[in-house]
Amino acid sequence: MPTEVIMPKVDMDMAKGKIMSWHIAEGERVSKGDPLFDIETDKAAMEVEAPADGILYHTAPEGMDIPIGTPCAWLYAEGEEVGEQPAPFAGQAGAAPKPEPVAADVPNDTKPVEAELELVDAIAGDATGKVRATPRARSLASGAGLNIADLIGTGPRGRVQALDVENEIALRDTRPAQLAAPVTFKVETGALAVTRSKGGTGTPIVMIHGFASDAMSWAPVETHLKHRPLIRIDLPGHGKSPKLRIDSFADLVREVRRAFDDLGLETAHLVGHSLGGAISIGLADTRAKRLSSLTLIAPAGLGPDINGDALSGICRATRAESLGPWLRSLVANEDIVTDSYVRLAMAGREDANLRAAQSRLADILFPDGVQAFDLRAALERIDTPTRIIWGKQDAIIPWKHALRAPGKMALHLFDGVGHMPQIENSDAVGRILSASV
Amino acid sequence: MNMHSKTDLRELSYAEAIREAMDIAMVRDERVILMGEDIGVYGGAFGVTGDLVEKYGTDRVMDTPISELGGAGVAVGAAMTGLRPIFEFQFSDFATLGMEQIVNQAAKIRYMLGGAVSVPVVMRFPSGSGTGAAAQHSQSLEAWTAHVPGLKVVQPATPADAKGLLLAALEDPDPVMIYEHKILYKMKGHVPDGYYTTPIGKAAVMREGKDLTIVATSIMVHKALDAAETLAAEGIEAEVIDLRTIRPMDRDTVLASVRKTGRLVCVYEAVKTLGVGAEVSAMVAESDAFDYLDAPIVRLGGAECPIPYNPELEKAVVPQVPDILEAARNLARGRV
Repeated sequence: MPTEVIMPKVDMDMAKGKIMSWHIAEGERVSKGDPLFDIETDKAAMEVEAPADGILYHTAPEGMDIPIGTPCAWLYAEGEEVGEQPAPFAGQAGAAPKPEPVAADVPNDTKPVEAELELVDAIAGDATGKVRATPRARSLASGAGLNIADLIGTGPRGRVQALDVENEIALRDTRPAQLAAPVTFKVETGALAVTRSKGGTGTPIVMIHGFASDAMSWAPVETHLKHRPLIRIDLPGHGKSPKLRIDSFADLVREVRRAFDDLGLETAHLVGHSLGGAISIGLADTRAKRLSSLTLIAPAGLGPDINGDALSGICRATRAESLGPWLRSLVANEDIVTDSYVRLAMAGREDANLRAAQSRLADILFPDGVQAFDLRAALERIDTPTRIIWGKQDAIIPWKHALRAPGKMALHLFDGVGHMPQIENSDAVGRILSASV
Repeated sequence: MNMHSKTDLRELSYAEAIREAMDIAMVRDERVILMGEDIGVYGGAFGVTGDLVEKYGTDRVMDTPISELGGAGVAVGAAMTGLRPIFEFQFSDFATLGMEQIVNQAAKIRYMLGGAVSVPVVMRFPSGSGTGAAAQHSQSLEAWTAHVPGLKVVQPATPADAKGLLLAALEDPDPVMIYEHKILYKMKGHVPDGYYTTPIGKAAVMREGKDLTIVATSIMVHKALDAAETLAAEGIEAEVIDLRTIRPMDRDTVLASVRKTGRLVCVYEAVKTLGVGAEVSAMVAESDAFDYLDAPIVRLGGAECPIPYNPELEKAVVPQVPDILEAARNLARGRV
């Protein structure tokens, strides 16, 4: 039996990876751990290692999108007979194509939808490939025009029950857009890197990420919000934004405000996480008339305490091994930060200038591990309808800072969630957000 | 405002209610006779016939020899020739000896003779466990007779239904089997005065609820009601249905309830496998109510073994209130 070479899941919301290049040719020998191929995800490119010793055959053509968890090549043992490709690549209809150069010319854009559907089946179904659902759930789903395979079952062994369908219907009623596909963004030019979603109507939602993060951190909640135009701003020295010189928190707010003003929005819903939450408070204090709502997720600025070790640890890390432990401190359930995810995150931090810019920013905003700016007075002044969302296992900023918010603001506190509620409990956060936008 | 006389609210035991039904029937219709082992001077093994022999004499309250086959045969013959016999098997377990008369004669004669003769016999079967009477005196074999076309089979759970179903059985032109639970004989309950019948083939909704349906028979109706009380305090509203008749079964009442709640537990004392619960489950699964099910159907029935003599084991082999509670909680909370 040849060993399958599986497309790894290196990102929490990744559905498939594109084969960029194979490091070795068909018929060549590899050892376990050797670099085998490069993949590209929405976020970055990374190298995948050989899962075993063997001789490489049936490789997926370069440029092809392969759903995660499915084979993209096979490794044969010495002397093992090499026959037909054991299975077609997932997402491909019909027989397995030979990995001939012509295959690489086939436009890959025709395949992803099928690939994603298969992936959904794999998640929702059991070994038989069938969806486990009660008759009542099926009747309700069918009556509501929902595909039972799209629903997440909360019953035993993942069974879809009536409650799951009712929740989905309730959710759909408040969120007219369908959940099917991820949101796609186009890049805008300006002082800071801004990406704007291609769909959505009504009042836009502007999202500001946290320290040492980037716009991609919103991906898990975006599907809940796609009925509105989504606008994501990368902070200076983060993501694809330029590494502007920032000497104070006020400087930072000024730069983001400039980017916000450049958007030319009449009104917007503003969502900010952590440092982005603090900046959002600053924006709300000066652009109150243009905000319809404000959502602060584990915001900075409400107290002096912050986990300075984690911030400097993340800035300092030059290898996945040193970055991993700090990334895990961001979440309550460490299992969601896989080694692959850490490697991908490190790949996004390979630029030494970016790390230096963030280190410098951390020194200015959080000297000696203390939040050097206090936004409580600003928060008191805000009359925009405001929600604060926090995880009660937040190890970066204590959730009890939330209790310093004025009584007119709504608090959503989650047990078993750390500093990243929008990732750790994206469904609940998505529902809270979609209810207020 | 309705004025109730005192007698309207009087209570009788289940056994007294049966005796009253027989008494009323014997006054109303001189064709009604009682037959069975030790039902005369002794008053019946469980005292159900009591002193009726003193009132009606040994021509109408007849002790039969220790031969269930013989006694049942005489009862079937008497019914065919114009009487309305009520035959008591001392223990339902002993009806195994009379099966030829029940299954091959009583159930089939009307059919085989082209409707020329009917067999309006009523048979009473003291059944069930809980008396420490062990393997040969504690069974619940109602599904045996319920499997036979031509018979009607009822399981009254309350004194009022024990009386009403017996009087209805006497009105019926065909053989009616009445399974009475021995533990219920002493249970008291309101029994209306005078003559009335409880319709055969009609279940009773004993308690309404929206979260799950518990279909129960006989003594399990009371255990289900006990459980429903506790469940209500936990915010789970169980609908409890007393099936009352198992052949013909009240399909409409059960299906309507399952359509409402989407969850079904069947509770019966007889051995679970191939029992009444299997029929109820299949009836739901084959119907349009299937589309309303939001969880697998759960059956609680007797264990796969004879009823033990040891009192603790005797309790353990049949469903008890905690078993119903656990099943209902799991079902209502989507854990099944």
